[in-house]
Amino acid sequence: MIEFIAQNMAPIMFVSLFAFLMLGYPVAFSLAANGLLFFFIGVELAPYSNNSINLAWPLLYALPERFWGIMSNETLLAIPFFTFMGIVLERSGMAEDLLETVGQLFGPIRGGLAYAVIFVGALLAATTGVVAASVIAMGLISLPIMLRYGYDRRVSTGVIAASGTLAQIIPPSLVLIVLADQLGRSVGDMYTAALIPGLVLTSLYVGYILLMTFIRRDSMPALPPEARTLGSGVLSLIVAVVAVVVIAYIAHILLSPTQGSNADILGVSVGVIVIYIAAIADKSLGFGLMSRLAQLVIIVLIPPLALIFLVLGTIFLGIATPTEGGAMGAVGALLMAAAKGRLSLDVIRQALASTTRLSAFVMFILIGARVFSLTFYGVNGHLWVEHLLVSTPGGQIGFLIVVNLLVFFLAFFLDFFELAFIIVPLLAPAAEALGIDLIWFGILLAVNMQTSFMHPPFGFALFYLRSVAARTPYRDKMTGKTIQPITTGQIYWGAVPFVCIQVIMVGLLIAFPQMVMHYKGETVDPSQIEIVVPPFGGDQPALGLPNFGAPPADDGTPAPAAPPAFDLSQPPKF
Amino acid sequence: MAPLLAVARTIDRINEFIGKWVSWCILAAVLVSAGNAVIRKTLNMSSNAWLELQWYLFGAAFLLSAAYTLKQNEHIRIDIVYGMFSRRKQHWIDLFGHVFFLMPFVVLMIVYFVPYVSLSYRIGESSASAGGLVLWPAKSLLLIGFSMLGLQGVSEIIKKMAIMRGDMDDPTPFISAHEQAELDAKALAEEIRA
Repeated sequence: MIEFIAQNMAPIMFVSLFAFLMLGYPVAFSLAANGLLFFFIGVELAPYSNNSINLAWPLLYALPERFWGIMSNETLLAIPFFTFMGIVLERSGMAEDLLETVGQLFGPIRGGLAYAVIFVGALLAATTGVVAASVIAMGLISLPIMLRYGYDRRVSTGVIAASGTLAQIIPPSLVLIVLADQLGRSVGDMYTAALIPGLVLTSLYVGYILLMTFIRRDSMPALPPEARTLGSGVLSLIVAVVAVVVIAYIAHILLSPTQGSNADILGVSVGVIVIYIAAIADKSLGFGLMSRLAQLVIIVLIPPLALIFLVLGTIFLGIATPTEGGAMGAVGALLMAAAKGRLSLDVIRQALASTTRLSAFVMFILIGARVFSLTFYGVNGHLWVEHLLVSTPGGQIGFLIVVNLLVFFLAFFLDFFELAFIIVPLLAPAAEALGIDLIWFGILLAVNMQTSFMHPPFGFALFYLRSVAARTPYRDKMTGKTIQPITTGQIYWGAVPFVCIQVIMVGLLIAFPQMVMHYKGETVDPSQIEIVVPPFGGDQPALGLPNFGAPPADDGTPAPAAPPAFDLSQPPKF
Repeated sequence: MAPLLAVARTIDRINEFIGKWVSWCILAAVLVSAGNAVIRKTLNMSSNAWLELQWYLFGAAFLLSAAYTLKQNEHIRIDIVYGMFSRRKQHWIDLFGHVFFLMPFVVLMIVYFVPYVSLSYRIGESSASAGGLVLWPAKSLLLIGFSMLGLQGVSEIIKKMAIMRGDMDDPTPFISAHEQAELDAKALAEEIRA
């Protein structure tokens, strides 16, 4: 009996972890307690385990150093920075302004308000990255207008919930940071890789709306002329855009002799700044050069775009690390909120309090997970999981399908921090052993976990929407008509098509890895993809470190190979 | 019970005071990190001390606020099963967790942190990178943070027993994660409407 337990410690520990977590005590401490309990059991049972348990008391001395590693990890520093940026932006009124203006711009076409929601959802995802804030702003501002003009209720609620969750997959999402850290990859690569899948997913949403406007023409009518409060004036906007391009091009020509390769960016910046100032001057001085619609669109759209450039642009161009990008974004968000007169000491204090709270619970889950993994690795748990997963039939594809189903179901009751810190480290070695690129794997998981936000009945986006959508009939202020409330069933059914789109997206990502692989910097032919993974164990002769600077043994070359340069741009991994 | 509750209140006050103030470290870290990036690009200068300062500050923020987060009952739980129990059973789970999950872990870690930090202090350990900061103050943040957490654990146990005996009101009644999401959404919606 004791031998049986000793030799099956890993599965026993894993199952008991779920019992511990389901008890409902805070996750961080349940993880740590589970790790310590099985550490003690493991040390006692080690003699009976036939060498499958490698635990001894001195191993506990590794814990302070592991926690120190968590503390001095620069990647994780991006978590509070982006969180703080998102909370400040959600108080700045940016989302509301965007929704109102872009709604006016797209409103006159069929399905326009839905396109506006998707477009603004993607913009907000690239700046605030907070699902709650996007969904709530859309539920308050766009939903009443959609209902007023007879949009289909299911499509309206579905598109709002789904667009809000784009924040999970479009950089600078926290999910991507945490996944990059847990998979041992750089956040910059993860962001670059996520860009195209994020845009493809956004276009799938747009495609669905387009399809619906053809299948059921009355499901999303165009706004009637009296609803276009900003008037028409799209022509004026097009003229303004052409003006930007011309100014940017001239500036580029003038600047390139002195600025060299920076002239592109500087030229565009000059064009954008000129039109922004022109729009503000036109609005405040009343020259009447532009239509009101053009003025507002320019004034509302440029600050978020500038912020996106400040954060993502600098990261993609390699000017800043993701952590620095987050810090600059946070400063940018403070400036933007201040410019709108929405920044007060109270807003800062609240944003800091929320950020600190999130940091504390996230970092302590990570600390708990480190205690758990110390023991779990000691009882060869990683080998057990790897063996279990590598032996799934169907190789890479079989593994990916099984893992995605697993994560899909676990996401019903674990949130993405818990999944990323507990489950992902167990999956990663198996994925690597099967030759799966870990960035690709991470993006797949991110799209998958995004789905859990909109999956009825537990999806958080649906709850946010439920809490701001009308529960009782109300009189519409503009038309005076009575509007029926939104039922919970409508919200749930509205989400279903978008959950299907998510599943299609996961399938597309598995079928077309090149959507992600461009992060490596060259076009990759999928038939040529061959990822070489250093062999683990098995019958391979040498397991372990490559010979760093070891002198060659046989051929007598005099100089030892130079040790590989350490990449100091990235924080060390522990 | 009264003297014990006085102890609990004192612990709560200390941890709340520290937990609230330490959140300003996040703002400091934001400014330091943004400043580092800008100065490196414009003046082509970079200092390891300033680079390390940013995660020193973040470390202080999350370690020293963990106890306050525990007091506010804001370390996340998986409440699918927990939420189905009566409040009385939830109290028992919390008490059990405090005594058998939280306290052994925290106490054990304190036992290991003491030699870890004092070694760092004795050898005057400083960062391996040139011009880096001294390490022992950062390492002692781990010890301080866990000690605060241990004290908060004591306070939580005292309060939990008092609540179960009916000696005090429940300061953090159970709200499921989804109810909390709806409450947060309502609060944010109020702000947007205002």
